[in-house]
Amino acid sequence: MTETTTVDDVVTQPLGVYTRPRGGTGWRDWITTVDHKKIGILYGVAALFFFVVGGIEALLIRLQLATPNGTVLGADMYNQVFTMHGVTMIFLAAMPLSAAFANYLIPLQIGARDVAFPRLNALSFWIFLAGGIVLNLSWVLGGAPDGGWFGYAPNTGIVFSPSAGMDFYALGLQITGVASLMSSINLTVTILNMRAPGMTLFRMPVFTWMMLVTQLLLVFAMPVIAVALFLLAFSRLFGAKFFDPAVGGDALLWQHLFWIFGHPEVYILILPSFGIISEVIPTFSRKPIFGYSFMVFSGIAIGFMGWGVWAHHMFVSGIGPISVAAFSLSTMFIAVPTGVKILNWMATMWGGRIKFSAPMLFAVGVVSMFTIGGLSGVTHAISPADTQQTDTYYIVAHFHYVIFGGIIFGLFAGLYFWWPKVFGHMLSDLVGKWNFWVMLVGFNLTFGPMHVLGLQGMSRRIDSYSPGFGFELWNMVSTVGSFLIALSVAIFVINVIVSAMKARGQAPCGPDPWDARSLEWLTPNPTPVHNFDEIPVVESLDEFWHRKYGTDEDGRIVRVASAEEVCEDGSAVGVHLPSPSFWPIVFASGLPFIALGLIFNLWLTVPGGLLVVMAIYAWIFEPVDDPDAAHGDHDDHGGDEAAADTTEEAPVV
Amino acid sequence: MISERLRRRGPLALVAVLLAFLTGCASDAELDTLNPQGPSARQIDALFDPVFYVAIVVFIFVFAGTFIIWWRFRDNHDDETFPNQIHGDTRLELLWTIVPTLILVVISVFTLTTLRSLNSTEANAFALEVDGGVTQWEPEVVVVGQQWWWEFRYYLNGLDGVDLTDARHLPPADIVTAGQMVIPAGEEIELAVTSRDVIHSFWIPALNGKKDAAPGRVHPWKLEADEPGVYFGQCTEFCGLSHSRMRMQVVAMTPDDFRAWIEEQLQPAAEPVEAAAQRGQEIYETQCARCHVIDGFNDNGGADLVSNAAPNLTHLMSRTTYAGGIFNMYEPNGSLDRTQLEAWLRNSPAEKPAYAEGRRGMPAMGLDEGQIDDVVAYLVTLGQKPSLDIIAATEVE
Repeated sequence: MTETTTVDDVVTQPLGVYTRPRGGTGWRDWITTVDHKKIGILYGVAALFFFVVGGIEALLIRLQLATPNGTVLGADMYNQVFTMHGVTMIFLAAMPLSAAFANYLIPLQIGARDVAFPRLNALSFWIFLAGGIVLNLSWVLGGAPDGGWFGYAPNTGIVFSPSAGMDFYALGLQITGVASLMSSINLTVTILNMRAPGMTLFRMPVFTWMMLVTQLLLVFAMPVIAVALFLLAFSRLFGAKFFDPAVGGDALLWQHLFWIFGHPEVYILILPSFGIISEVIPTFSRKPIFGYSFMVFSGIAIGFMGWGVWAHHMFVSGIGPISVAAFSLSTMFIAVPTGVKILNWMATMWGGRIKFSAPMLFAVGVVSMFTIGGLSGVTHAISPADTQQTDTYYIVAHFHYVIFGGIIFGLFAGLYFWWPKVFGHMLSDLVGKWNFWVMLVGFNLTFGPMHVLGLQGMSRRIDSYSPGFGFELWNMVSTVGSFLIALSVAIFVINVIVSAMKARGQAPCGPDPWDARSLEWLTPNPTPVHNFDEIPVVESLDEFWHRKYGTDEDGRIVRVASAEEVCEDGSAVGVHLPSPSFWPIVFASGLPFIALGLIFNLWLTVPGGLLVVMAIYAWIFEPVDDPDAAHGDHDDHGGDEAAADTTEEAPVV
Repeated sequence: MISERLRRRGPLALVAVLLAFLTGCASDAELDTLNPQGPSARQIDALFDPVFYVAIVVFIFVFAGTFIIWWRFRDNHDDETFPNQIHGDTRLELLWTIVPTLILVVISVFTLTTLRSLNSTEANAFALEVDGGVTQWEPEVVVVGQQWWWEFRYYLNGLDGVDLTDARHLPPADIVTAGQMVIPAGEEIELAVTSRDVIHSFWIPALNGKKDAAPGRVHPWKLEADEPGVYFGQCTEFCGLSHSRMRMQVVAMTPDDFRAWIEEQLQPAAEPVEAAAQRGQEIYETQCARCHVIDGFNDNGGADLVSNAAPNLTHLMSRTTYAGGIFNMYEPNGSLDRTQLEAWLRNSPAEKPAYAEGRRGMPAMGLDEGQIDDVVAYLVTLGQKPSLDIIAATEVE
């Protein structure tokens, strides 16, 4: 919070290299920004880039498997590509795209100026990017990881995976994990401490609630994978024997650690999407979310129960029938809160006046496609059936219906919904509908047949299959479908480019293009750098909607104010904002050197370590503020007010 | 087979037909999980099928509901009244919390009873003639996975006192074979599943679900085949480079055939008679015996490999598949597939990806064509060719 306190009385001393950067423009602005909105955009751009990379890897997988005895990649390259597809999509695409929404929207939805720790927020992004770069450097530095995203020991040990690939996995994921952990603490503190006056916990939008649960899951899950990755890194780099049964290690230790992280990770991925569509569906149904408190508590229930189901990934690992029975039951009953959510979304639509814009199509896509994934989930929560299905394409089908159907569709709903909020212009709705329908058809063609392949006994992670097992037809269908998905992503990219070109020179789209309900739409589009002209005082859930609508004497709902009247115009000047900083990116740039040093030559860790230490000192010593930045001369903000905000915004429950 | 499905699944015939069509319920779906051929697989199927139908019903409910809501409550622009702002209904919420819970409670009861019976054992002793006397064999087979093939070890006097904890140094077994596990049909077989290197998973879909083979651990599992036949399997835990080429088969025989098989397997290898075969044996001794074992000829006390084991070749010709279950030993007419065998001996890493230089997998031995002919001449003396039924059943294409 130091950044947001006033510096009127602070004597700013130029300290040479520690001079704080001024709010510049262009690339200098982007690499020094601590603005949660710009960091959100950075997360989004990086995540979509990695989404395309992971998608290309997926297409390579499908090309290899299109026909029996495929030769497109070969066994070794196939193992690298499917490992990196999983790692990229989960850690470098889905998680950071969720982080993009979290960063951009949480402060706006709770009526705050920024996150609690703006420099830490920038540091999280740059460290995430450093981790993503380290992971992908493996392609050109001796081979990508080849042990699967799940990295089961001892196959990931130095004997069985002699290339440096799994070192990149252990260290690259460790780096992205640090980023996730810092970000989750930052956002948790933000949600708990920086809400606007009147924004009680139970007036928070469902999106912010789901993000809060997600961040708390991250706070507790990331240390577990960090431990697992340390054990792996020490095993590979320094000859530790944690997973070697010959000298008293345990091959199953990794699996337990990985899935204690890995199953909450599933909910870390899905809850943001649930949050997004809980904003979209009410807006386009013109009704409040049905059963708000049940939605919130089912999300919390998922958050708790998500910790008690990890061993359902291990039903055939030899953990014994009592454990299998217990985890089978807990897994079955986690379907209950998820089912509550599905039915509440349907009840939200019931009785509404549904507008089928692109965001709504994607949101309903989540409701329907995730339902399929959830139902197939129940068919292997029953552990005896799972002994047939696990590690077959039935599971691949299941989790792609959850992760693609449930998460990617939800994130696309969010992209279309909040695009005008972020960029001030709409994406073409017509093209968006094409995007949706092509993606829906492609998705079902790709992953629907995998249910059949799995029940026919096709194993996962096989680089080729022989003719004669009945796998030919559906693999070909699946490959065709995957290229339809690629087409739909291309449509999205074209939509982004064409919409941006059309919007150039035009005035920004008006406020409130969707007749929305939550607080972020109180600010103009695109959001001004200071967010709110005045910190709003919140009186109800769906505060923004209640400022637009009231009831007449007959109890009918009538419009009482236009969006233009309600929305702020963004004209506030001189609002005191946290100053940019060089040091987050400098800190993060040291980490790849340390990682490469641990893998190849320990001397490389010296410059890496020096960069990190220098950045930490500079972080401490840099002047608290940009001396030329405006502050303190606005009626409501800056000066004492900004300092007072920090106490006034204490949690109101 | 489709009609069998229809009869068994009665009222949901339509779904069954659809499923049967989708899963290509044909003779070539050798790994089909919905075509149980043994009691364990049948119990699993009997649990999966009704749960699958419940899931279909819920699926139809949600999808029909969604489409009805979409149609009924679409914005058709001729009605400008704003919808009622309903915030929820506690009774409805409780209803759709409790009803799914009750459905799941019912499913969980059946799950637990199935789980219990899958984990119970009721193997009966099986009388075998060994060394002229009768041995009551508790049908047990030790299943050992390693990159990238399966070994099957038979201890005919039972596993009591047999220490399996270190799979790289297992006590000598009466019979050691690879790629194909031979069992008597109609008998429950206990398995002890373990691994010599990384984690693998043993899976014969027609007979039972899978069980991981992990180093340092011995996992109990079981199998039973209703009828004699060949049942296919595939390693299902990712185990490195040739994971997709780590396959296995279970050959179920009539009790008499099985006894005959045991009797043959207990014989040590005969000394070769032909000159070519004798030359082949010399090449075997210098080139192959560092890793492979032929009972009665060499015992290397551990292969020069990471896994410390290579397939035992004593009765090689009694198996219809080799190299991790990926090549057929015989043509459908019963003659040796000499071309494939020679290609394997010539340059095995070209036939199946492996890290021979990292002592994982068979290296190219650098044999010339004459030497290859001699080795083949020796190998064909090892073990008896199985029945044409088994050879035919090994074919999948």
